Amino acid sequence: MLHMQDVSKVYRTELVETHALRHFDIAVDEGEFVAVTGPSGSGKTTFLNIAGLLEDFTDGSYRLDGVEVRSLDDAARSRLRNEKVGFIFQGFNLIPDLNLFDNVDVPLRYRRMPAAERRRRIETALERVGLASRMKHYPSELSGGQQQRAAIARALAGEPRLLLADEPTGNLDSQMARDVMELLEALNAQGSTIVMVTHDLELAARAQRNIYIIDGQVSDLDLAEAAARPLVAAREA
Amino acid sequence: MNVHPILATLRRHKTAAGLIALEIALSCAIVSNAVFLIGDRLDRIRQPSGLAEAELVHFQLVGITRVEDPEAQAAEDIAALRAVPGVRSVATVNQIPFGNSSWYSSLNLEPEQQNPTMQVTTYVGSEDLLETMGLSLVSGRDFVPEEYVEFQQAQSDPEVVIPAVIVSRAVADRLFPGENPLGRSVYVWGAAPQRIVGVVEHLAKPNDIGGPSSEHTSVLMPVSAPVQYGINYLVRVDAGRRDGVLEEGVAALEAVNPSRIVLEDRTRTFEAFRDDYFQDDRAMAWLLVGVCVALLVVTALGIVGLASFWVQQRTRQIGIRRALGATRGQIIGYFQTENFLIATIGIAAGMVLAYAINGALMGRYELPRLPWYYLPLGAVVLWTLGQLSVLGPALRAAAVPPAVATRSV
Ligand SMILES: Nc1ncnc2c1ncn2[C@@H]1O[C@H](COP(=O)(O)OP(=O)(O)O)[C@@H](O)[C@H]1O
Ligand SMILES: [Mg+2]
Repeated sequence: MLHMQDVSKVYRTELVETHALRHFDIAVDEGEFVAVTGPSGSGKTTFLNIAGLLEDFTDGSYRLDGVEVRSLDDAARSRLRNEKVGFIFQGFNLIPDLNLFDNVDVPLRYRRMPAAERRRRIETALERVGLASRMKHYPSELSGGQQQRAAIARALAGEPRLLLADEPTGNLDSQMARDVMELLEALNAQGSTIVMVTHDLELAARAQRNIYIIDGQVSDLDLAEAAARPLVAAREA
Repeated sequence: MNVHPILATLRRHKTAAGLIALEIALSCAIVSNAVFLIGDRLDRIRQPSGLAEAELVHFQLVGITRVEDPEAQAAEDIAALRAVPGVRSVATVNQIPFGNSSWYSSLNLEPEQQNPTMQVTTYVGSEDLLETMGLSLVSGRDFVPEEYVEFQQAQSDPEVVIPAVIVSRAVADRLFPGENPLGRSVYVWGAAPQRIVGVVEHLAKPNDIGGPSSEHTSVLMPVSAPVQYGINYLVRVDAGRRDGVLEEGVAALEAVNPSRIVLEDRTRTFEAFRDDYFQDDRAMAWLLVGVCVALLVVTALGIVGLASFWVQQRTRQIGIRRALGATRGQIIGYFQTENFLIATIGIAAGMVLAYAINGALMGRYELPRLPWYYLPLGAVVLWTLGQLSVLGPALRAAAVPPAVATRSV
């Protein structure tokens, strides 16, 4: 499903070169629920952005659902992103001027799907996250947990092969975080492949597999060892 | 088209969108009327006189001392002018098109008519006048020498018969629409009728009295021009010799009788008269052009400003849309569609306003109704203006990287 081999990512600014990922290898199979943890600045978001085609990588090879994405142009990447990937962000990232129905509609319109089909999918997705009755509500009228569930509905509606979540519970209190986690687990049980970055080790422990990123590389440490390490990468010192 | 979500968003930003739509509406309304007025002025400025304008110069003299035989002196003047190199023909004349001062008469179809059929301006002059003016006859003929009457006589003797008249096509069409005007009788001067012997294509009036509806309502009479107090000569020359003839002509006239004043501002090329005459129209046309340009520039700047502001304000949202799969083209398309919708609302309102302004102008001035095709034309201009204005900001929006969705907080 997701296959990265020897991927590296270098951010160059006038003053510094940051090696956000180096010799990064990972394979995620269909139907897996992978939790990604690691110290702040270790490259988790960079990994997720590359996985979701939001950013280019400097070197290596990445196949998404069998397609080598390295040589694709921007338009092809956009289309692939739209079809195969659903994003869930820490800050929910709903569009404030659109109600929930129209928010969930956004990725579907980019796919030029017929209106009836869009409506069916939007209603199904909002039902799955328990927000069918809030379709006409604007994001500002909802709690954080509801907003994140709406964002999950938006990620689901396109029926993506891969759900990528970057600290989806980071802005939520623990009760709401558990709700969202349960929703993700339910989706995984129904067959969605999920890669979730989190700093909440308790939630991470509930995933099928844990990956620990340190210093831009997948570490060999297991979760218990990782838990014992400080949360800030040593190299940042 | 993804109109629905864009409209939904605009509905939540009514004030800003409304102001731009209003700006577009005002531009649409004012520019279409201004362009129409410019066209109207240009038509006026470009109206044909019917004369061989590029070949004509005009002399005007006033006497200070009494002359024994003014007719003889005029004959002498004409001979002197004819002798100037480059001169092709010379005629006395009472007035010229765009020359401002004008002779008016009522024209009747019956001898003792209560209300005149129409008002006409009356050109008179010596035998070579039609030829000198370079008028083009569409039917009939020039006057023959026997038809000419002395001005003095025509004025003092009510019994005198002026047998013929040449009318402009505008007069012929008004009096005898669809009929042959030749041989028909009209009453312009005196108790006896004048028979129409010729019709000329155009013959503009000396001024605008009577308004646009009486354009070119001119007649030519076989009466000599008055020569006692002042005298006008119209001289047809080789086009390149106009300035030379003016200079040498003045010298020649002074040689005939030095105790006369050559009126400098009336002794000029015909084109100079035309330029002067339409000076206000030209100034007005330029003023209107300036108004149009200023309005369009201000509107374009307004669009660029608002679009830039929105792009900046929505940077994160644009990143999110990119993350959700929007191509760069779809981001550009969003801003273009948004602008198109605002412009369309503005244009629709502008069209209504355009007709309202036009209606007010029609009531106040003698102005025709705004032709319908100004509306689609104005719409296309403003749509194009909007699309061009929004393009820069839209391209900036398309350059927002999708990673903005995950990187910025
Ligand atoms: N656009 C960028 N330009 C320069 N450096 C960046 C950029 N984005 C991330 N980085 C750097 O790359 C490293 C990895 O960042 P990130 O993947 O966001 O870490 P994490 O998500 O694990 O906290 C950090 O050192 C960060 O400062
Ligand atoms: Mg991060």
